[in-house]
Amino acid sequence: MTEAGDCRLRAASARANVLRMLRSSGAGHLGGALSCIDIVSALYFHTMRHDPADPRMADRDRFVLSAGHKCLAQYAVLAEAGYFPLEVLDSYGKLGTKIPGHPDMHKLPGIEANTGALGHGLSICVGIALGLRLSGSQGRVFTILGDGELPEGSNWEAFAAAAFHQTDNLTAFIDVNGLQISGTTQDVMNMEPIAEKLRSFGWETRTIDGNDLEQVLAVLDAVPFQTGKPSAVIAHTVKSKGISFAEGDVNYHYWKPKPDELDLAEAEIQATIAALSKAQA
Amino acid sequence: MSEQIFRDPRKTFGAAVSAIASEDPRIVILSADSGKSSGFTQFAAEFPERYFELGIMEQGVVGVASGLATTGKIPVFCAIAPFTTARPFEMVRNDVGYMRQNVKIVGRNAGISYSDLGATHHSLEDFAIMRMIPGMTIIAPQDPSEIETAAAAMLAHDGPVYLRIGNDPIPELFEPTPFTIGKARTAREGSDLTIVATGNLTRAALEAAELLSAQGVSAEVIGMPTVWPIDAATLRASAAKTGRVFTVEEHYVVGGLGTIVQEVLSGQPIPVTKLGIPHEYATSGPYMEILAHYGLDANGIAKAVQQ
Repeated sequence: MTEAGDCRLRAASARANVLRMLRSSGAGHLGGALSCIDIVSALYFHTMRHDPADPRMADRDRFVLSAGHKCLAQYAVLAEAGYFPLEVLDSYGKLGTKIPGHPDMHKLPGIEANTGALGHGLSICVGIALGLRLSGSQGRVFTILGDGELPEGSNWEAFAAAAFHQTDNLTAFIDVNGLQISGTTQDVMNMEPIAEKLRSFGWETRTIDGNDLEQVLAVLDAVPFQTGKPSAVIAHTVKSKGISFAEGDVNYHYWKPKPDELDLAEAEIQATIAALSKAQA
Repeated sequence: MSEQIFRDPRKTFGAAVSAIASEDPRIVILSADSGKSSGFTQFAAEFPERYFELGIMEQGVVGVASGLATTGKIPVFCAIAPFTTARPFEMVRNDVGYMRQNVKIVGRNAGISYSDLGATHHSLEDFAIMRMIPGMTIIAPQDPSEIETAAAAMLAHDGPVYLRIGNDPIPELFEPTPFTIGKARTAREGSDLTIVATGNLTRAALEAAELLSAQGVSAEVIGMPTVWPIDAATLRASAAKTGRVFTVEEHYVVGGLGTIVQEVLSGQPIPVTKLGIPHEYATSGPYMEILAHYGLDANGIAKAVQQ
């Protein structure tokens, strides 16, 4: 099994986990979760040093999902990685769940920060990166920001600080799915050219197809892109990737599926899993 | 009161934290172009790897502090009070409070002590807003020695702390004693009424008690350096003894120490009069003149009590 093929299969299983959570709650932030879930899968199944049996392992690599509303992706991957039993997914949206609509580090093992208020994650990551370096740890820090999150000014404070303090143990993915709740990111607040902005802030950048696991793995194998600089990956993705009727449609940013729609989506994901399993066998 | 020796609160604070930090490698200092004015010049020179200059980006600094704390560091961020509280409030709320991180936020030049710089640089709502963060401890030391002991207590406490200090040199009021978070100090015993004061204004409250004494009024002065969580037991005991309470603070009369005291004493037939800055953008001018303008000097407090 190729590395990318394995990650592709794990990502498909994680997509099934996302739908399982939606069946529990009846609604959730589908679109962004599925645009970034291939990257999250690559991080946990290919790149990061981590141990589901010891989530606070010293010297672990850390992942912070700055775009916290995409937490369905992280929960799905953590479950797939064995951080907690799959049955926990059936509590999504229910009273007292460990997997709330934005992640809570004190509820679920494997969560490193309480994100969800946009524009917070990158500053926290800069602090983690500085703390690990000061402690002499080899641990690295990874984060995903949404493209719709970029207008938050606090991100740009963090972009500046990361470069100024030469945090080359920090990698930020920008999940450019091009859509946010009110429409296209270009229409709501155009932040392009993103790569040029980040380079001018002192980051080294690469641009990839963030739903192509060959490209995601290759770019992760190449970080840090330059010693002494933080790395940014501009990942072009498709919102709701993997569910054909929802792909690229802003109406699935937050989805309240009808039962038959959920059945249809699950059938498609199961077919994908079967095809990938067959191809890998 | 002993002979008055005046000391600079910022230098006192910076030196106290630096002395402890020089022995404790977990402590890191964060600066938003604010560290050297907070008494950390020498620390920055001696321990550059633990002094992080981030420039004027207070929201970013609080997030960075949170991240550092997740790795076991004890970050201390000191800057002008409104820029450590009101400006990055949501970062304090989420990244420090909600994440329960061991971050120390210090507002200097608090209250109206950046007097002539005007309302942008005053901090008259910091007790109110920081208290709304679950798990937050709020400390306002009353004299230089208490700044030192409170700084030590702040660093030893496992959890978020907001500590506020002023600008102008302040005199020693008390013999130095170890600081216990959540413990009031009965600064003067009395029987007719209780004055509860915090921060710089405990000095004025003690002076007011002296003036009242000359007029035959016996005022008890409770110094309340931990504004939150408040020492309710000491407060209730004193209030029960005197039956009349006044609060004195360099903060809006709404939302601060006076409001907390009212909450503690609610349901009891004990009148509480709150002395502080009215809920408006305060006037500017020399610090002591602004305090007198709002009746927060010894004469003003004594006059309010007499009425």
